[in-house]
Amino acid sequence: MKAIEKWEIVLNDDLYPELLRQTSDPPERLYGFGDPGLLGPALAVIGARKATPYGLTCASRFAGWAASNGVTIVSGGAIGCDMAAHNAALISEGETVAVLGCGADVDYPQQASTLLAGLRRSHAVVSEVPWGTPPQRWAFSRRNRIIAGLSLAVLVVEAGLPSGTFGTADHALAAGRDVLAVPGSIFAPECKGSNRLIAQGCSPVTCESELRDALISVGFLLGSATADDGSSSAPLSDPILIALRSNPMRPDDLAFHLRQDIVSIGRALTRLELQGALVRMRDGRYSVRKPE
Amino acid sequence: MQATVMTATLRGVDALPVEVQADVTSGLPMFGIVGLGDAAVQEAKERVRSAVRAAGLEFPNARVIINLAPAPLRKHGTGFDLPIALAILAATRQIPSSVIEGSTAVGELALDGSVRAVPGMLAHAYAASRSGLDLLGPSAAMSAAAVVGCVRCRVVDHVTTLRQGEIDPRYPCCDVSVEPHGRPDLADVAGHHAAKRALEIAAAGGHNLLLVGPPGSGKTMLARRLGGILPPLNDDERMTTALVHSVAGIDERPALAGIRPFRAPHHSTSTVGLIGGGTPPRPGEVSLAHNGVLFLDELAEFGPATLQAMRQPMEDGTISLVRADGRVRYPAAFTLIGAMNPCPCGYLGDAEHRCTCSQPMIDRYTARIGGPLLDRIDMRIRVDRIDPGKILREDCEEEPSAEIAQRVISAIAFAGSRPPTRTLSGARLLEACRPQRAARSTLETLARTVGMSGRAVTRTLRVARTIADLDAQDSVCCDHILEAAGYRMSDVR
Repeated sequence: MKAIEKWEIVLNDDLYPELLRQTSDPPERLYGFGDPGLLGPALAVIGARKATPYGLTCASRFAGWAASNGVTIVSGGAIGCDMAAHNAALISEGETVAVLGCGADVDYPQQASTLLAGLRRSHAVVSEVPWGTPPQRWAFSRRNRIIAGLSLAVLVVEAGLPSGTFGTADHALAAGRDVLAVPGSIFAPECKGSNRLIAQGCSPVTCESELRDALISVGFLLGSATADDGSSSAPLSDPILIALRSNPMRPDDLAFHLRQDIVSIGRALTRLELQGALVRMRDGRYSVRKPE
Repeated sequence: MQATVMTATLRGVDALPVEVQADVTSGLPMFGIVGLGDAAVQEAKERVRSAVRAAGLEFPNARVIINLAPAPLRKHGTGFDLPIALAILAATRQIPSSVIEGSTAVGELALDGSVRAVPGMLAHAYAASRSGLDLLGPSAAMSAAAVVGCVRCRVVDHVTTLRQGEIDPRYPCCDVSVEPHGRPDLADVAGHHAAKRALEIAAAGGHNLLLVGPPGSGKTMLARRLGGILPPLNDDERMTTALVHSVAGIDERPALAGIRPFRAPHHSTSTVGLIGGGTPPRPGEVSLAHNGVLFLDELAEFGPATLQAMRQPMEDGTISLVRADGRVRYPAAFTLIGAMNPCPCGYLGDAEHRCTCSQPMIDRYTARIGGPLLDRIDMRIRVDRIDPGKILREDCEEEPSAEIAQRVISAIAFAGSRPPTRTLSGARLLEACRPQRAARSTLETLARTVGMSGRAVTRTLRVARTIADLDAQDSVCCDHILEAAGYRMSDVR
């Protein structure tokens, strides 16, 4: 197998991404693998590590759509929303770049090692810290300014409060980049940050056509893309699925809302889970697999 | 001058017969005990000497040798005091031989000559009934003999009784009653219907249950109320449970009254404390919870080795303690109820508090329980803090424990003479379940999708059988399988 080529570019290099150079605090040197040409204008798709199925679905849906329309997707390679965005870009055969907080040759987090290996080969993985640097807490919040700096727009799919994702949005606003956010349930702590961004004036993204409009306004797409606004998806009929559509719930709460006994709710939930319509979250709540 | 008195020494829950042989000969005065007795047996010399004199009898001023036969068997405990005294008194012709003939004696002596009970009276009564001898001992022997039945009793509460000559053997009558103590009621717990249902199933089928939730969500409150919905012990269970309690020296009357044990050891409990051991090997908490519930609160805080030691008794229902001087087997068929937080900070998935744990921290925390132990837990249920409004509302009627207990008893009555569900497996389990075709294929699909082990499939089917019992259904249907699998599939994390 051919060794993957590493490269280093410094601030006054021709290859150094112009958008990043314009920011107030650009890194002196970038270490990376893959194609440095991909570090051009991109859309950042970022979200929480501890993502809900809702956040994961949104990340892959919007990242996949943008990537298939020729927009490079930048994200942080972390588990949760970041990995979902990278994977969606790969599936729709678009371009994607991972910006790491550790050395570009370090596999962190471990769950992402296969993904990172693929990105190093045929896309790009970049970092500002030298080769082999192990992950350190401070490096990740510094890394977020590079994600913002490489992007024309940042799409926040799910962010708690406070969170690193929220920090990236701050960097983007400071650099004069657009910040877009996917609204979430007002009850979900996982969506507090993204909802706050919308309240502060960021554009909400609820369907592909809104994303397209937002991307066009920052100079992407040039009007060529067609949007599928998701209206074709079949309406949900099961009362449990309808109840869970807006907000994940526990069996007890669901039984209370639907005025059914806990035994039949429990059985119906397992049946729907088996059919793949529901997922059980780590905290015991149920969520619809495709919130559409 | 020689005399022999029968007694017994405890080994596990059995009392093995031992002969106490006394030989009183002329020579320099001395008192020796041979036959592998422990320190407590050696100290019997002083107690016997004082007790005999206190009772106004004469301790021989001669050479006194006591042999405990069979000599190679290790003997321990203070139950040899009375037999030794009897043997000396018989050898010196101070009591007629008819007092000791046809009886097995047990009891500890006080210096004033009174006779005290020792742990394991019930085991001694069993041994007496097996060998067809009368039980000679303090009045505690009376109640033990009453439980075993068909054992005559000769009561000696003080050594002075022996001066009267004959002791009339009596058939004991004694009713075991314990005062009903106020047990916490499930009606005190607002909401948590899913968890209450799980407790009901656990009570009806003896299935292991793990409650996972943030601090203060009510896990302990729920688990402690399980005792109130457990069905009473049947006659066999009553005996085996009381026997273990008696041997361990704890009050066996609740077990004899049919109350299932509910043991809740602290998480600092050692491996020996939990599964049994020591010299001589004593029953651990798993055995004291035999036919009842072992509640381990803060499961993840127990030592990992301690938890893993429970794997074998959980599967077999007994525990074998093998030591240099042999093997002791204690029964240990218990229902494990565990309670734990979902992560080190406790708040993973909580609606209000934010969890501050990183993923590796959470993984390390849950890994303390480990896959093999988790695989043996049939049901896992998430318990979350409920809305304060629900707790404070007065109009909401929660079902009292008595009603749930009634359903549990009917489920057990429905199961009838079938062997306990928790012991079924393979063909016998399938025969008991008679799963409908749809149920069979549902379980198959489930097992494939979730990647269940063979044991997981068996255990799911057992839970489904219990749910069908609660529904009074002969055959297990799809809904039962779905509910049973729902309890198993939930991630602990």
